Amino acid sequence: MAVERAQAEEALHQAQAELARVTRVTTLGELTASIAHEVNQPLAAIIADASACLRWLAAERPDLDSIREALDAVVKDAERAAEVIVRIRALLSYSPVTREPCDLVDIVHDVLPLAGPELRRRGIVLETALAPDLPRVIGDRIQLQQVLLNLLVNAGEAMRETQPERRRVVVRSSAECRDGDVWAILAVEDAGAGFRELDEARLFEAFYTTKPGGLGMGLSISRSIVERHGGQLWGTSNPGRGATFHLALPGTR
Amino acid sequence: MNSDKPVVFIVDDDRDVRDSLRRLLTSVGLAAEVFDTAQAFLTARRADVPSCLVLDVRLPGLSGLDLQRELAAADISLPIVFLTGYGDIPMSVRAMKAGAVEFLTKPFREQDLLDAIRHAIDRDRLALAERRELAELRHRYGLLTPREGDVMAGVIAGLLNKQIAAELGTSEVTVKEQRGHVMQKMQAGSVAELVRAAARLGIAPATRRA
Repeated sequence: MAVERAQAEEALHQAQAELARVTRVTTLGELTASIAHEVNQPLAAIIADASACLRWLAAERPDLDSIREALDAVVKDAERAAEVIVRIRALLSYSPVTREPCDLVDIVHDVLPLAGPELRRRGIVLETALAPDLPRVIGDRIQLQQVLLNLLVNAGEAMRETQPERRRVVVRSSAECRDGDVWAILAVEDAGAGFRELDEARLFEAFYTTKPGGLGMGLSISRSIVERHGGQLWGTSNPGRGATFHLALPGTR
Repeated sequence: MNSDKPVVFIVDDDRDVRDSLRRLLTSVGLAAEVFDTAQAFLTARRADVPSCLVLDVRLPGLSGLDLQRELAAADISLPIVFLTGYGDIPMSVRAMKAGAVEFLTKPFREQDLLDAIRHAIDRDRLALAERRELAELRHRYGLLTPREGDVMAGVIAGLLNKQIAAELGTSEVTVKEQRGHVMQKMQAGSVAELVRAAARLGIAPATRRA
């Protein structure tokens, strides 16, 4: 019996991990245009610089300083493109769920290069207010990235109808004492449509969505990921407009 | 005037792209001036030489399409080559309809960009020559006295000095003299040349009283 139960639990974990991965794929799918842009920018720069080098080399007395400057830029741009690919591959990989110490500020820095361009494309100003000494949390870095990515994509989506000058997302981190333990908290604040009280209860239900073409899985999966990490994920309405989503995880310190 | 060295203006918020484009243009012997925002470009002083604008569609603040509209509203006919990293078809349609020379999706073939830029500069060189010629004609026309202007309207209507004199209630000798001033001030070698200048200036020939 014990063996069967262990097998069943193992199967459940695998199913959860796979479900999480599939929703990551879906989220990244929504970002395709922005991610392509993030790779295309350095590629365009590389093509331009390499072409310039070929021309300079064809000259009777090649301008070596200019060639060096252009080649330095080519290396930098290739690294920039590779960086995007590395981050995407990490999010799409089948790597087993891990439990390791993570810094939520690192998670923010992992996710911003992917979500930032999408927000910018939507004309949204992205701000961060990150506390320097956040307690580390134990968890799966990729899954935590997924939660934050999902919150940022939702925030962008929530401001579809917001006046351009008001489109703003703030990512804050803070430490909070709860019953003697220190928790690490990330908050994603938008200035979008917000949610009505009626919706609030349903926000985290599977298949509940307000976006056209949305699957309604993002928040539901995000909450189950956070709960498996022993944390909490919840939303609040802002005093002015928009909503804030809070991710709280117990610290290890 | 033909030795005007062309300048390419580049507006892109991505520094890597901006700098690489400047190097590419330098490598083919074109001068480039770079700007990170549409506003920075609008407030910059621009030399009156053949030029074109290489413009990213999506810019923070004023977008590329906004800038295109502002330039059109200010009657600045700078040819624009648009760049986009998103392959945005509706936007490219809007840009082309509003007179863009080319709309390239990053990453583009450098030859396509250089061809588009050369085409744009050629277009601006012609437009610039026309603008200068028109400005010169306006200047010359401004030198005419009101009476000389009346005489010119008569000449381009194909009237004889006698007829013009009758219209204006003056003598044929006076008209002949004024006509000489008109030809001299307008630097017209023939009536045909004067007619062409008048057409460029949009001056209507005199209509004879019945």
